[in-house]
Amino acid sequence: MLQIYKRFWQVNWAEHWQYRANLMMYVLYGLVSPVVYLAVWITIANSQGSVNGLTANDFVTYYLTMLVIDQIIADISQYYLADKIQDGTLSSDLLRPIHPVLTQTLIATTAQKALSFVALAPVWMILVLLFRPDFGAVTLASFLLTLPAVLLGAAIAFLLGVSVTCLAFWTTRVNAIIDLYDALIVLFSGQFVPLQLMPPAIQVVARYLPFQLFRYAPIETLLNHLSPADLARNYVLSAVWLALALFIFTRIWRAGVRRFSAVGA
Amino acid sequence: MRTLRLLSALFKLNLQLALAYRADIITDILLNLMWLGWELLGINIIFSNTTSLGGWKVGELIALLGVFRLVNTFMAALIWPNTAKFNASVRDGSLNYTLLQPVDSMFLVTFSRMVIWRAWDLVLATVLIVVGIRMTGSGVTAPNLVGFLFLSVSGTVILYSLWIVLIALTFWFVKFDNNVTILQALLDTGRYPSTVYPTWLRLIVTFLVPIAVATTVPLQALRGDLTGWQVLLFLGVGAASFLVASRVWKAGVRKYSGASA
Repeated sequence: MLQIYKRFWQVNWAEHWQYRANLMMYVLYGLVSPVVYLAVWITIANSQGSVNGLTANDFVTYYLTMLVIDQIIADISQYYLADKIQDGTLSSDLLRPIHPVLTQTLIATTAQKALSFVALAPVWMILVLLFRPDFGAVTLASFLLTLPAVLLGAAIAFLLGVSVTCLAFWTTRVNAIIDLYDALIVLFSGQFVPLQLMPPAIQVVARYLPFQLFRYAPIETLLNHLSPADLARNYVLSAVWLALALFIFTRIWRAGVRRFSAVGA
Repeated sequence: MRTLRLLSALFKLNLQLALAYRADIITDILLNLMWLGWELLGINIIFSNTTSLGGWKVGELIALLGVFRLVNTFMAALIWPNTAKFNASVRDGSLNYTLLQPVDSMFLVTFSRMVIWRAWDLVLATVLIVVGIRMTGSGVTAPNLVGFLFLSVSGTVILYSLWIVLIALTFWFVKFDNNVTILQALLDTGRYPSTVYPTWLRLIVTFLVPIAVATTVPLQALRGDLTGWQVLLFLGVGAASFLVASRVWKAGVRKYSGASA
């Protein structure tokens, strides 16, 4: 099994390496929006001292951490899976004695993320030099607590993301659904602004949704802004959503594949 | 006259293409409305925490959002789809047929694809601009309004000229599929006034990829931040960049040797 993963990894890495210029562009593309929001909030924080208790440095550390966390957690499986389902090339994957999503899609997205990371690192350094964040609040303990939070977030994001993509088994307009799903993530994850600045109603809903586990929770864990009670709550929420996501995915996948073979693509 | 007839023919062609996927049009418009909601929520969050963003009031930011959406619509309805078509036609050699037509090639390359449902976006953007200006209130004078309108057009012409130069570069460097990515990536900076950005970013979006010239600058004219000379200067830059772009395009077409011929 490990041998299979290793081989897939080598193939995917080589494929992505071919398109390294595109990958660099893709990384730069993802930087623009957070940097714009960062600039907006720094301006406001500097003009009145702080925003709702958040200083300019709080915003800088929040958005700079998000660039990294986002790169690890954000699910990109739609680019690998949706087309395969729609044009029928999934058929050949289904013939292999391994799970198409949990091996091929997972490894392809992980390889892309790993290589994007190589591209992001120097750009991130430059941003650090430009914005001069003070990461003094980060401790070894908070760093160690962030690792499982990031892994859990990535697992949930992946499973829910591929579940949404699997709706392509039923509809040809899956891209619109994915767009809608992405909009929910933007709204409830803290990608837009730190969640405490959102309208109260959204904050209440966000506490129970999985999306804050994709950005806000791991960022605030790393920056040491959470109480032990909040930390524990986030881990419990992660465990519940991981179980739910796994359940949703297996159900959708089974039903979808059955339907897929019925069409005879 | 001939140009208008051509435009309407291309419009009809693209309308027929779009009408084959009517349900998609509805979905696209609904998603578009949803993202507008998100953008307004963003402005709402900002102004529930402050009264001005670097000296800009809420009405001015809404008007800016309207201008940004005009530029964005221009890009999404014409520029991006025609870029895709152009890049493909360079690769497979079908650009030869475009060049052989007895019409200005720059015109054909710009208008052969249109995303029709985006016309709806023009309505939304206009509403945002009008509402924004209304909210700003008495500060708007007639000359400022005229300056705003002219600078919006000339700013878009500047972005268009940059696009022409970028795709014309394909004639020299054939493997240049990423020709517009930088433009696409930086477009989002047009949502907020470039005056709040750090200096390095402001320099990039003003001089290198002049998104701000089509979004922030017209709004500055509306606010009365610009002197008459500055307005004239920007208009001059607009005209000059268009001339340069059409020169570069002509030189590129002369240089082009065809992929399959």
